[in-house]
Amino acid sequence: MSPTPEEHPNKTAFLLRVRSALGRTEPIVHMPDHPSLKSNAMRQQEKVRTIVARNEARRSSTLDRLARTAAAASWNVRRAGDAEEAAGIIAEIAQQSGVKSLVRSAEDVFKRVNIDTPLRSVGVSPAILASGRSRTRGALRDMAFRADMGVTGVSYAIAETASCAVTPRRGVARLASLAPPRLVLLIEPEQVLETLDDFFAITRLNRMQARGRTANYFNFISGPSRTADIEQTLTIGVHGPGEVHMVILG
Amino acid sequence: MAEVKSAEFKKASGKALRDEKLQHSLEHVMEHFVGARANVIEDDFGDESWEAMRTRAAGIKQSTLEHLDYYLDMVDKSVRRNGGHVYFADDAAQANAIVLDIAKRNGVKTVIKSKSMVSEEMGINHVLEGEGIEPVETDLGEYIIQLAGETPFHIIAPAMHKTRQEVSTLFQEWLKTAPTQDIKRLCVYARDALREKFAVADMGISGANFVVAETGTVCLVTNEGNGRMTTSAPRIHVVLAGMEKIVPAIEDLALFLRLLPRSATGQRITSYNTFASGPRAPSDEDGPEEFHLILVDNGRLNLLRDEVMREALRCIRCGACLNHCPVYRKIGGHAYGWVYSGPIGAIVTPPMTNMKVARDLPYASTLCGTCKDVCPVKIDIPRLLLHLRYKVAEGAIGERSTTWMERLFVGQWHGAMRSRRALEGKANLGRLLTRPFARGGKVRKLPFTPMVSGWTASRDFPAPAPRSFARLWREELAHDNGTELR
Repeated sequence: MSPTPEEHPNKTAFLLRVRSALGRTEPIVHMPDHPSLKSNAMRQQEKVRTIVARNEARRSSTLDRLARTAAAASWNVRRAGDAEEAAGIIAEIAQQSGVKSLVRSAEDVFKRVNIDTPLRSVGVSPAILASGRSRTRGALRDMAFRADMGVTGVSYAIAETASCAVTPRRGVARLASLAPPRLVLLIEPEQVLETLDDFFAITRLNRMQARGRTANYFNFISGPSRTADIEQTLTIGVHGPGEVHMVILG
Repeated sequence: MAEVKSAEFKKASGKALRDEKLQHSLEHVMEHFVGARANVIEDDFGDESWEAMRTRAAGIKQSTLEHLDYYLDMVDKSVRRNGGHVYFADDAAQANAIVLDIAKRNGVKTVIKSKSMVSEEMGINHVLEGEGIEPVETDLGEYIIQLAGETPFHIIAPAMHKTRQEVSTLFQEWLKTAPTQDIKRLCVYARDALREKFAVADMGISGANFVVAETGTVCLVTNEGNGRMTTSAPRIHVVLAGMEKIVPAIEDLALFLRLLPRSATGQRITSYNTFASGPRAPSDEDGPEEFHLILVDNGRLNLLRDEVMREALRCIRCGACLNHCPVYRKIGGHAYGWVYSGPIGAIVTPPMTNMKVARDLPYASTLCGTCKDVCPVKIDIPRLLLHLRYKVAEGAIGERSTTWMERLFVGQWHGAMRSRRALEGKANLGRLLTRPFARGGKVRKLPFTPMVSGWTASRDFPAPAPRSFARLWREELAHDNGTELR
């Protein structure tokens, strides 16, 4: 890791002015009382353990809830009984949309769900959007911009809002789920959480446990790219994909 | 800093009121937002009601403001720990200089921007253009008003005053596209034009909806995907954030992400939420190599310093107070003369810019209180408006703001309200003087009296009843008792 960037020269004077505007002369030494900051890593771990247990216990109803909220948020939702069925559904979506070039991430989920074979059988050969073969930044970007469809896995899917948390890392480019006009997200049952609170509690713990080693970036994708900026008329597919599919295993 | 044109408030609102096309689109869009919000705040939030959520959010933001120096320090340490740079800018000029320095150091030629109200305050586009750097707005609405050379009409719907014909004409001129009435087509034109910019831009500038102190995470709330593009495609990501944008912990976002989109567009969640805490990790496939967070004061200290006004900094810029304001709904956003409009604009513009220039804004309200009722962080906007009016009247702008007539009237009023007899006497006098001018139950115009005729020039006064309530009451009592009251 590169060294920590230096403190901005104006910081001290800036904070002094803020403090004096608040009518104080001394800096605050003890952390202000705030419920979400209170729990240390151990207590947060305890909290997350409860969350995980609850989500396991209610998995099947949460999956149903996700399917409902996603459909209401303009996702095309398909549910698959097993990996083979899921792969078949993805090939079917690609075929129906007349997809010619498809990019996918290099996530582990595609080791469990082999989508490449059924895709090839419908005449689509998936390209893996990764820098592996000494692709430059520009080449990667062009590849993503040219593709008709992107397929990736998710870190979590949140039933409350039909939000898929997508975390880019090695093998998972940010542009794979953003640049192509069609997107398919493949969700495994243990990735599904009930609420936003569940997700952020887990995220906080992850950051506490792996300080400096976790991803600096993630996204929620909660539906098709949309705008209503011209005459308040809803139009889908502006900068991101206008056609979004959620394939839920289980 | 962007020019403050709030001194033109009265003239500009008059112009807006006479613009029929504008009146039509205001009515249409505001109705849409109000209805959509009403629809989703009734959702089942589990253990917490909408009202309880608003109270909790107000508490979190207020407490963060009360300890702002502490949390600013926390943000700084967290972001730098993640490998990002943090800057503290006192005003627009400093913030502009910091952005320009980063751009020049990296030989940046094209900058893509996702929506940022702070960047509007700074007038950064002009500054960049002046240095030969091309800034491109990527939010569709912002892109349209950038081409038109205007300022945002509404916090979340910047181009709501533009018709499809006007957008088509703009695109014909700037993008050399064919004329069309098809909105979908217009979006495709913009998408294609902006894709070219995404592919070549070296720097992306975004705003921040929330900055999480503990993790150093910047959260962006968007629908189009331009926020993701801006933070993913270019080599450098610069975040511009007002220093009040902080929430302490990442778990607080669950609450704010429920409140913000519902209050703003009536959505349960927007299509995209981007969470960026620093540059890409060495192991990441793509993403910016440099991450710069610029925390901006630019007049916010004036709000923080005043214990009454401080709560205005709780604002999360949802625009609900605009959508529900009977004044905004008639005059629209441009009349307010600066970056922020509607009730929130009326309370933040005078302290942040210039009390004297923006002195009319605190009066641009009927004090109906709807803004306070819909505010997701419970800012008591009417109280703050009155506080500013008080300051203006007390000479905060360096001159007496009242006329001798006003002072005479208030003096008389003061006298009348101290004694029942005096009040009745004065009310009877007023009745005698105004009744001759009443037509159809209303006094439309009063001549002769300079202050009062000024008042009736833009309002109707209900005609006084022939007999006062006090007199009716006495007569009723007398009738019941069969005796004459003294």
